[in-house]
Parts: sequence; structure tokens; C-alpha cells
Amino acid sequence: MELTPAELADQTGWELKPEGLCRDQRCVPLPAGADDAPDVVDVRIVADRLRMPLVADDRHGLWALGPEADGHVLDSAELPPIVLADVNGTPFDLASLRGNKVLISAWASW
Amino acid sequence: MTVAVDLEVDAARPWIEGSGAEHPQLVDTAHSLDELLGIINVPMGVWVDEEGTIVRPAEVAVIERSEWADIEISDDWPAVVRDMLEQVKRIPRYDPDRYVDALRDWTERGAESPFALTPAEVVARSAPRPIEEAEAAARFELGQHLHHAGFEDDARTHFREAHRLHPDNWTYKRNAWELLDPGTQGPSDHYDGDWLSDIKRLGPERYYPPLEL
Repeated sequence: MELTPAELADQTGWELKPEGLCRDQRCVPLPAGADDAPDVVDVRIVADRLRMPLVADDRHGLWALGPEADGHVLDSAELPPIVLADVNGTPFDLASLRGNKVLISAWASW
Repeated sequence: MTVAVDLEVDAARPWIEGSGAEHPQLVDTAHSLDELLGIINVPMGVWVDEEGTIVRPAEVAVIERSEWADIEISDDWPAVVRDMLEQVKRIPRYDPDRYVDALRDWTERGAESPFALTPAEVVARSAPRPIEEAEAAARFELGQHLHHAGFEDDARTHFREAHRLHPDNWTYKRNAWELLDPGTQGPSDHYDGDWLSDIKRLGPERYYPPLEL
């Protein structure tokens, strides 16, 4: 179960650096030997180090990496990257609203 | 802007297309806002300033009094409906005018508004995330992927597990139940809970996180 460092950064915000896994001002060292192959990252080690649950659907060969546990939902007040689609499937990047005050109002049909 | 937390775009479409609103109206078919912002029920809101900084994390965002809170329950109605409405009436209600006034104050005064929190307050007020709830997010991720791929039975396995791991997340539950039993979200062979059983078990006071304005 491996990702490239670029994929890891894109999916989780954590970057592979000489110090270990780093995000913002935080770095978490990796166990000895975990960074022997600099082109790939073992997601199981990342999950263990960052307290991210890694769950599987064996029938379909799917894995999902959950968010970091034991902190808060937000680890920063910066709005995370969010791109959602409208009813026509057109993607909309919430970052495009910079310069405006925004109320993100969550509702549902159910 | 609005985001419909709906697995099915077409479920949200009539409201969006009928609203006539000009602000962005999006649909979160993966419930990604649950994981990213802490949305666990609706309606909830998040305030973001001009720099992209969250100044109020996810919280109940009621802008008008619920008609259900004042409804007179008739003895002529089916027992399950009466029972559901009794629970609805026990859900804590927040003064919608206070929320709207706070929102207006912030739009006018920005960071000077007492309702605009500091970054440290925002992080501290966002919900704690124990390992069970982090795993629930991963389970729901698998479930929604399989649902959209057409593997409904397999999706339900993960949805059910997400429900067990994060019982206070009503978006995970209500959307899954709605797919089986629109409107009532009643018992089924596929899930361990249903709307009425769960609100009785957890308590209507837990239906929304407390609002601290």
C-alpha cells in the first residue's frame, strides 16, 4: 500500500521531508528504514504515525485513509482546500470566494 | 453559499433549481464537509472571512423558527408520527434572530465583531475527533464510493459501521436511512438504527451540538 510523496501531500497535506512527515510547523519522525525508498511512502506507516485509521473493503480492493485522530476536526483556522460541484457537475473551488465574507450553509434534502 | 450534504444530486436538485438564488449552490455527494469541517447534522454553518480564515467553526445555523416545534400533535395521526413529533419538540431550539443578528454584526464589523473568533478559539471550538470518529469518516468514504459505484449492499456495510462509530453524526445516518425509507427514515433490515430509535436512545438534546453565541 504505497503512494508517491506527491500523492501523499495532495491527499493529506503531509509532506515527506528529511525530518519525517511534515505539515505546517509539525514534523513527525518516521521509523528507521521507512524512508529507504524516497520515491514511495508506505501508507500503513503513515497511518500508524499520524493516528489516521486505514480501513479496507477486501471485496472491492479499496482502502480509505481517515483523518488524524485525537485532536480536533480543525487543526488550523485556515479553510482547507474544498472543491465541490453544482447540480450540473461543474466544479467550484471555495477558494475562489477569497475577498468575500462567506457563510457556508450546510443543508440537505433529507 | 449553500452546500447540500446529499449523496444524490437529484435529491437536492428541486430545491436548488427552484430557489432562484444567485449565490453558489453546491452538492456534497461524498459528505466531505463532515470530515473537513465537522458538519454532523443540518442546518449547520461555518463563517469564513475575506482571507479564507474560519472565524466560526461548524455550529447550528438556524435562521427561522421550525414549524415542527410548534405543531399541535393530533390524536388522529399514526402513532409513529406522533412519537416522532414528540421527539422533534424536545430538540433544543435556538433563537434564530440571535444567529442572524450575530451574522449581520460580523458582516458589518468583521474582526471587531465579538462573534468573530480568533484562530485559536476556532480550533479549540471545533469538535474533538477521537479515533472512532476518524474511522467513521474513513468508513463513510468507502460507503459513499461503493454507493456511487452501484454496490449498494456493500456500501451499507460501511455506512452501518460509520453509524456505530460516530452515533452523533446524523448526516451519515439520516442520508443512508433516507435512501431506504424516504421521509420517515424508519427501521430496516440493513441498519441497526433508525431516526426514531436513535433519537430516543441518544436523547433529543444531543441532536445538535450546543450553540455558543
